[in-house]
Order: sequence, then C-alpha cells, then structure tokens
Amino acid sequence: MKEYCAATRTHGGRSTPDLSDMAEVEDTLKRIQAQHGVIGTIVVNGEGIPIRTTLDNSTSVQYAGLLHQLTMKARSAVRDIDPQNELTFLRIRSKKHEIMVAPDKEYLLIAIQNPSE
Amino acid sequence: MSNTTVTQKRRTLKVAKSSKTLNVSSGVFRPNQSTTKSINPLFSGKSFGSTGDSKVVDKISAQTPKHTAMVVDENGQDVTPHPLYNPDPGVLQSKQGKVFTALDTSLTTMTEFPSIAFQTTNASLTGPFTRSFFGSASASRISQTAESVTDETKDLLVKQDLSNSISDIQSHREEPKEQLRENILDSTANCYLSETETIWLLDIPAVSVSVESEDAEAVKERNNAYTELCKNRQGNDKYVERSMQTFSDASKTKEVQCDSITMVDKAVMCTVWDMYDSFNNISDVSANTVVSSERHEATIPESSSEGHLVHPKRSNQSLSVVSTVSTVSGSSTHIEKMACVLPLDEEPDLQLILQSDKLKQDLALMERVVLANVFQPKLAAYRQLPIIEDPDCVQMVMEEESWTEQSKNSHCPFLERLWDFSCELTMGRNVSCMVWNKKNPDLLAVGYGQVEFKNPNSGLVCCWSLKNPTWPDRVFHCESGVTALDFSASNANQLAVGMYDGTIAIYNVQTSEQTPITDSSDCANLHTSPVWQLTWIDHEDGLAADKGEILVSVSSDGRISKWIHYKSMECVDLMKLKIHDLQWKRHISSLTPGMCFDFHPNDSKIYLVGTEEGHIHKCSSSYNEQYLESYKAHKRPVYKVTWSPFCSDVFLSCSSDWTIQLWRQDLQIPVMGFTSGQRVVFDIMWSPHCATVFGAVSEGKVEIWDLRVSSLDPTLVNWTSPGVNPTALLFSPETDCVLVGDSEGQVTVYKLKNITAGGGSQGETLEDVIQSTLSSQH
Repeated sequence: MKEYCAATRTHGGRSTPDLSDMAEVEDTLKRIQAQHGVIGTIVVNGEGIPIRTTLDNSTSVQYAGLLHQLTMKARSAVRDIDPQNELTFLRIRSKKHEIMVAPDKEYLLIAIQNPSE
Repeated sequence: MSNTTVTQKRRTLKVAKSSKTLNVSSGVFRPNQSTTKSINPLFSGKSFGSTGDSKVVDKISAQTPKHTAMVVDENGQDVTPHPLYNPDPGVLQSKQGKVFTALDTSLTTMTEFPSIAFQTTNASLTGPFTRSFFGSASASRISQTAESVTDETKDLLVKQDLSNSISDIQSHREEPKEQLRENILDSTANCYLSETETIWLLDIPAVSVSVESEDAEAVKERNNAYTELCKNRQGNDKYVERSMQTFSDASKTKEVQCDSITMVDKAVMCTVWDMYDSFNNISDVSANTVVSSERHEATIPESSSEGHLVHPKRSNQSLSVVSTVSTVSGSSTHIEKMACVLPLDEEPDLQLILQSDKLKQDLALMERVVLANVFQPKLAAYRQLPIIEDPDCVQMVMEEESWTEQSKNSHCPFLERLWDFSCELTMGRNVSCMVWNKKNPDLLAVGYGQVEFKNPNSGLVCCWSLKNPTWPDRVFHCESGVTALDFSASNANQLAVGMYDGTIAIYNVQTSEQTPITDSSDCANLHTSPVWQLTWIDHEDGLAADKGEILVSVSSDGRISKWIHYKSMECVDLMKLKIHDLQWKRHISSLTPGMCFDFHPNDSKIYLVGTEEGHIHKCSSSYNEQYLESYKAHKRPVYKVTWSPFCSDVFLSCSSDWTIQLWRQDLQIPVMGFTSGQRVVFDIMWSPHCATVFGAVSEGKVEIWDLRVSSLDPTLVNWTSPGVNPTALLFSPETDCVLVGDSEGQVTVYKLKNITAGGGSQGETLEDVIQSTLSSQH
C-alpha cells in the first residue's frame, strides 16, 4: 500500500540532490555536444576560466575572454534601455558558425555550432 | 584779446581760430584741454555746473591748445595757476585749474589731491581706457609726485580723474577733425550735434562742496575744526605724523620635498542601469556597507569597468582594483577580506555553478536553440511556415532542392517524413498511446507499454516537446506498461496514466518528480485488468461535487468507472459491460472486457463502448443498467471507436477483424466498411481538419482514407520498415501533420501533402457521402 498525498513533492523527489543534478548537467552537456554540427561547448566561471570545455585550452580561453566582454556590453545595452530588463540569451551568426551564449552572473555557457554541416 | 594764450576753441565751426577768447565771465572754465590732459580734480560731473554765475564751458567744446594754456580771468589778469611741480621737460605739463577763486580753503585741501590721484589712478585709468593716446597721458601723471592725502579723498580723486579724462579724450579727438575743417570755413556746413546720454563710468560723490550750496557752511566749519584740531595736537604724541618702511631682508631659498602624489585615473561610466541598481541596492545594503551611496556607486562600476563580472570576490584580479581605491568604503574592505579567503576554495565554486538551477535552465535553453538550428526547416514545415534558406549554407540548399522537387512533381497525396521522436530510453519499447496537451499544443505525451502479455516490462511515459525531438522533457517511469494516457483540460499539467496492471496514476508534468500526485492503488475498486482507455470528461451535473472534470476509464474487467480524487482516488462504476452474446459468455465473470470508449463530442453523457466481443454499445452515464443501443458488426475485439468531429451522428470503429466500419448512430448496420488487406487495424482517428479524411494504422502500414476520393481504397498508404508495426496514430490539431508511433519506440511526424480540405461545410460533405452510399445500397 502506498501512501500518496498532494504534498509528496516535498520529499522523495530529490533523493540525492548533488549527484543527480550533476549527472543531469553532464548528460545535457553531452547531448548538446553530440548534436548535429556542434563544434564545442564551454562553461566559463565568473573569473573567465573555462570549467567545462570540449575545445582546447587556448581556444576556450580566447572565446571566454572575448565573449565575456561582448556579453557585458550587450547586457549594458539592454539594461540601459530598460533597467528592469535583463539579457537572457545572445546569438551571433557569422558566415561559418553560430555562437550562442547564455549569460549569468556567475557563469557563461557558450556553444558553437556550424549549422550547415 | 587775441593775444591771450587762451586758445580755447569752441566746438562750433563758426568760431575763428584766432579770435577766440574764451568767454569767461566768472572764470569758470576748463583750462586743461591739453592733449596731455590735465586733470582738473576739482571738477566732477556735478560740481562743474554748480557755480551759479559762472559760464560753464562745455567740456567738449573747449579745445586744448598744444602749448600751455594761460588762464585769464574777467579782469584780464593772468591767473594761470602755477603747477605744483614741474614735470620732466619731455612731458607736457598739466595744469591745475583754479576753479573757485573764492574758495581758497577748499583749494588748498583739494590741491593736495591730484598728485596722489595721478599716481594711484594710473592703474585704474589704464583699465577702462585702453586707447593709446591715453596711455601717454597716464604716464605723465605717474611722474608727478604725490603727497600724502587722506584715503577717502584719494579714492574720490581717482574717480574724478576718470570723468575728467573722458572729456580729455573726447576733446582730443575733436581737435584733429576741427583743424581739417577750418579750410572750409567759408562754406557753411550744417553740423548737427547731439549729445548722447551721459555714460556714467564712475560716479564718486563729491567731497568738495560748492560755496553756494546749503551745506557749505557746515562743511567749512568741519574743515575749520579739523585744522584747529591738527594745530592743537602738534605736540601730542598721538597725532604725530609717521611713516614706516618695511625692511626686506635677504632672501634665502629653502627646499621642501614631499611624498610623491600618486595620481590615479578614475573613470566611471554612468549608465542607466547602474543608477537603477544602486538606487535599488541602497535598501538592500547590509551593515557592511556603511558608506554613502556615492561610494557604493563608485565601487560597482569600477569593478565592471575593469572588465570583470560583478562578483568581485571571485576575481583575483579585482584585488588590485580594490586596493587602489583610496575611498575606503565599508563594502570594499569586506570584499578584500573575502578575497583573501576565497582563492583557496576553487572546487566548491565549480560545484556550485554546475549544480545551480539556472545552469540547468540555460542548458535546456541552449539545447533547444542548437536543435532549432538543426531542425529549423522541419519545424518550419510542421508549423506551415515558409522554409527560409540559410544563405551561408550551400549544401543544405542542394538537399532542399532535391527534396522539394520530388514533392512538386507528384500531385498525389503523400506523407512527408519530418522527424521522429526517439531516444535511447524509448528504443525497443512499444508505443501504446499518444496524446497532445490541451493547453500547450507543442507538448506531446507518449506512453510506452506492451499491449500483449508477452513481455511485461516497466512502462514509460515521456513528455516530448516539439522543440527538442532528441530528448524528452519529462520522463516518468512506471511500474507496468502504460496503456492509456490523457491530459486534463482544466488542469493542463495533470496527466492521467492507465497501466497494464489496472493502476491509474495522475502525474504532474510541471515537475520531473517520479511520483504521481495520486494513485489508484489504494482504491478498493481499482481495475484488475489493463486500463485500455482514459478520458477526462467535463461533467455538467447539477451537484457541485460533480462539477469540473472527472476521469473515466475502461478496463478489461468489464467496468467503466468514473474516478473522483480528492485525497485518494475513488471510483464509481458508470457501467458494467454485460455480455450479450452467449457465444462469448465467460465463466469467470459475467462481464465482457471493454476495449475502448468515446464520449460524444456534444453531449458528454452519451458514450460509445467497444468491447472485446465485437459489440459496440451506446450508453448514457446517467443510466448504468442498460445500453441505449448496440451495434454489432465486428467479429473480433473492437480496438477503437471514435465519433466524427464534424458529424455528430457518425462514428468510426476499427477492430482486429481487419475492418473499419463507419456507422450512423441511428442505423444498426454500418454504413460503410473499409478494409485493405488482411491486417489487424490497431488505431484509427478522424482528421480534425477534414470531415471525410481519417487515418488508420495496421500491421506494417499507415493508411489515410479520403471518402471523397474513394471508399474502397485508402488514398494514401505508407509502408513502414519491415518488422516494425505502427501501433498508434495521432493527428495534430493545429497543423496538417500526423504522428505515428510504432513498436520500436519511435514516434514519427509526417506531413500530409496534397490532401485538400475542400470547400463547403465539412459535415455536409460527409453526410453527402453517406447519403450517396446509402442510396446506392438500396
């Protein structure tokens, strides 16, 4: 006999928070990397150091530095127009690639994709 | 008196040069019209004209002779005042005018003034008057010696000089002009002179008072009193004239050195959001920041202008930034302390980021964005949007061309495969049911579970989103195979799941929790056999308790039950499916298993039930004893029965006896039957767009029937790969796409091409078809 009630959500759902979260994050990163045409994914921490990357170190650091500055500028532009607004996503489409950046206060999530492959 | 040296010239041209004598009746005139401008200190603007019987010579009119003037009074005596001092030979003398002959006392006092004035006025005079000729005049003044004068008169003299000098300049200017014109003396030239408004450049009240004024007596008395006083105090020590001189000692150089003043360049970029943040953060500022708001603003932008993120405590480089800020704000000291501690803790920082919820959301978003790039043309086709070609991708264009060419060539309907929902979780599982979310048409719930008893394995419910065809948004693992699904319409996040062991669970798809909200395991009346179909029905009963949605299920134990869940699920039987046909009478129970049911789209009380014995019964939910009607045509279990969405009388049924039957609810025998091959038909569905179109899945193929075209053959047949059976069919309510679930766990999305909806009322079209069929039968 199982006892269920409406408040089951509060317990039992997240039994092992850290491990399952980490696994979920890793899984999602792997799936993104495995998608068609994705060249690399980088997770950069607040200091500009890549903490998860599928590219080589020098490229990762270069991307991290450049995109961080651009994201700051973009965020500044968005908030200048309306201070209650916030930048949520940034996409740069170039001739060869598309760079997608999801910014946050503590990290930067970057994915580079070549959609034409 | 032509020999008089008074060569005062009148301003008017009529006056001959030589014959000019100044008409001085009382000796009041302006003697000092020399270019070197002698100052008549006694004249001020006011006092000049105050002498009663003196004929006032206009300041301007008098011309200054180049040589020294002689003053002659009315008696012809030479009363030219002697200059107090003799200037340098090179400098022209300036004369002092003896204006008030009668005022000796005043004169004596006055005469002391000018010299002082000369010295002191040089600076002030050169100020307002920058004309070059006047510069020479001031030089001559400076050269005159000064005598000590009381301060108050000095100032007055200065001002007097200014006013006098104005006239001097003006007269000097006039002189060259006059000399030119004398040549044309004979001709009368009319010259209209007008006087401008008096421009007061300086106005010093007079210290000299005219003899004839009212105060003269008082002034005289005061002057006398003063002289008396001076005389009395001759020997008094307090009244001794003294002069002082300051010694200027020898100068000595002294060197001082101070610490180098460090110059720091500070730049702040003031942005709108920065001000907004600071304004909002003032209220949030903790006890750390004791600082004023200006400093608070200063710390935040400077860290951002350095190019770091707003969290300076995490940045090693920002340490240097903070240290150079000499404004020791409370927040910066706090940050310095933090920065000292943190560089050691790099690992937890990493973990924190990787576990944050925001990162998960961003990852999901990123995944969708990446997939949107990959699937863009397919999704556009799904949503019936024009497919935009990427100008940078040449390869894709070529593929597209070959693709579209094929479709253009053929005008017959065909299914264009867009994509399929599948992932490693679902591989190998049998798709048993699919249902769209009522509120979000992009959300699809697919149930995976076996339909036979062969391989009992755990079931799976996946909620797929159109935006991510590679991985389901939600995955719910169930204990037994899932056989029925339905989303609630009123609470769009509730998904009812019916399982092979008869359990019904309600999941909340908003969270990814694996436990359902409620479960029917506790219910006493729970189904003991697989639940083949579930529907949420909007009940319009009068009782308040029954209002809203209720869940109805049909199961192989022969019961149609209505489930109410407050705290736990309870069910009430709507109908028990009694066996009609003796042939099918079972010994175990008197009920025949129900396989499917469908509520009438317009009337939620009437519903059809398909049973395992092949009968279809029309029942009413308010009458649970007897069937309203029975339709008997199928020989084998009826797998699906469905009302037409356009015609309220027409319904369709499919069975494992290889046939699909079209019924009208008033006729006991089916109007039309469809069969194509000897294959079990698993699922059928009316097209939500076209009344005469329905789809069917049978072993190995997907068929689309269009009754306008033909009722004998399907209009479209799509064969699946060998070994794979399509087991579920779902039309998309928004677009013209069909979803087919198969026994390998794939849900493929096809786009229906070249099937036109047709004009006219949909229901009428179908009815026409039926009518024509009926008439042709008789």
